[in-house]
Amino acid sequence: MTGDATPVMKITVTRSGGIAGLTREWVVRVEEQGDPDSWFRLVEQLSWQPRHRSPVQPDRFVYRIRVSRRRITLPEQDLTGPWRQLVDRVRDAVDQPEKD
Amino acid sequence: MAHVAQAARESLAMDESIRHDRAVAGQQGPQRGARRLEPPARSIFDAERTETLPGVLVRSEGDEPSPDIAVAEAYDGFGHTHALFREVYGRASIDDNNLPLLGTVHFGRDYENAFWDGGRMVFGDGDGMVFGRFTASLSVIGHELVHGVTQYTANLIYRGQSGALNESISDVFGALVEQRVLGHTAADASWIIGAGLFTDRVEGLGLRSMKAPGTAYDDDVLGKDPQPASMEDYIDTVGDNGGVHLNSGIPNRAFYLAATAIGGEAWSSTGQIWYDTVSRGTLPASCDFPAFARATEAAAADRFGSDSIEHVAVTEAWATVGLGL
Repeated sequence: MTGDATPVMKITVTRSGGIAGLTREWVVRVEEQGDPDSWFRLVEQLSWQPRHRSPVQPDRFVYRIRVSRRRITLPEQDLTGPWRQLVDRVRDAVDQPEKD
Repeated sequence: MAHVAQAARESLAMDESIRHDRAVAGQQGPQRGARRLEPPARSIFDAERTETLPGVLVRSEGDEPSPDIAVAEAYDGFGHTHALFREVYGRASIDDNNLPLLGTVHFGRDYENAFWDGGRMVFGDGDGMVFGRFTASLSVIGHELVHGVTQYTANLIYRGQSGALNESISDVFGALVEQRVLGHTAADASWIIGAGLFTDRVEGLGLRSMKAPGTAYDDDVLGKDPQPASMEDYIDTVGDNGGVHLNSGIPNRAFYLAATAIGGEAWSSTGQIWYDTVSRGTLPASCDFPAFARATEAAAADRFGSDSIEHVAVTEAWATVGLGL
C-alpha cells in the first residue's frame, strides 16, 4: 500500500465460547515478526473453503480468524493442519513473544 | 451424620421417583413403564495431555478409587448427576435407556475448557494461571452430562436463543446436582456455576451467577462477567454461536427466581417443572425464550395445578426477566 517492498499483514484470532463463555483475542502484525516469510508461507497453505464442517459440540471453543481482509469461523474441532499451526503461532507470538 | 441424612433423603426420593415415573409414563406412552432404572456404568479415560479421544481407560464402574484427583472427581460427579436424574426424576441415565457414562480427563495442554462431544464428557486441566482443572466443580461436571440429556430430549439447536436455553438447562441441573449433594435449599444455595475453577489470582466466585447474572467475576485480566439478567440487556453477537453462554443468564435467573419463590429443595419443585418441560417431547428444537417460558408455565400447571404456588412463581419469574405474557 505504501509501495514498500515488505508487505504488511495483520492476523487476528478471536476465540469465543467454551463453557466459561470468555472471549479472547490475539493480534499479530506479520511484518513486525522475526521471520515474515515463514508466516506468508503458512498463510498460503490455508484453505478458506473447508470441505468438511463438523457438527456443533456444546461448550467447544469457536475461532474467528482474520488474515488481512479474509475471514473464516471454525469450530475448535475443525481447527486442524495449517489452521491449527497458525492459531498456535499467533498465540505464542502474543503470549510468549521471546519465542518467535 | 451427613451421610445418613443423605441416604435417607435419597431413599425417600427413590420412592417419590417411582411415583413420578408412573405419572410421567402415563402421560408419555406405555413403553416407558418397561425400562429399568439401572445404576450408573461409568468409564473414565485419561488423554494424557493430548487431544486424542478417548484416551486410556483408567477407571471402570466399581474399580477402586484412583489417586488421580481429576479421575476421582469425574467418577464421583457422574455418579451424583446420574443419581439426581434417577432418584428424583426417574430417568435412566442420559438417554433414559441406561447409557454408559463416558468421560475423559487431562485433555490437551493447559486446556482451559470442558465440553460434551456428543458421546462423552471431556475435561481440561486449565492453564494454571486463570483456570485450574475443570473437574474441580461439581456444577460443571453436571453441566456437561446434562448436555447429553438435552441431546436425547429437546435437542435444542446450539445457536441463538435455543442454544442459550440448551446452556441454561445445563446450568440449572448442574446447580441442582450440587445443591442436592450439599443439602442446600434454594435459600441456602450459592447459585454459582463453576465455583472453585478459578485460581487464587482471579477476582471472582465462578463462571456464572444464576442469582445475579453479570456479577460472577470482575477481574483485571478477565474483565467483568458479561451476562445479562433480563431481556432489556439481551446481547446480539456473532461469537459463541450467537451468545449461548451470555444470554443463558436470562433463563438462569428466571429459574432462580421461581425456585426461591417456591422455597425448599429446588431440585424437587422447580427442577421437576424444568425436567418435565424438556423431557415431555413437545419443545421444538428451535425453541426461543418466550416459547420456553410458556412451556414451563404449562408444565407447572400440569404437575402442581393451575394457580398453584408453583405455577404462579414460575409465571412471575418470567415476567421479572422481561418474558411475561
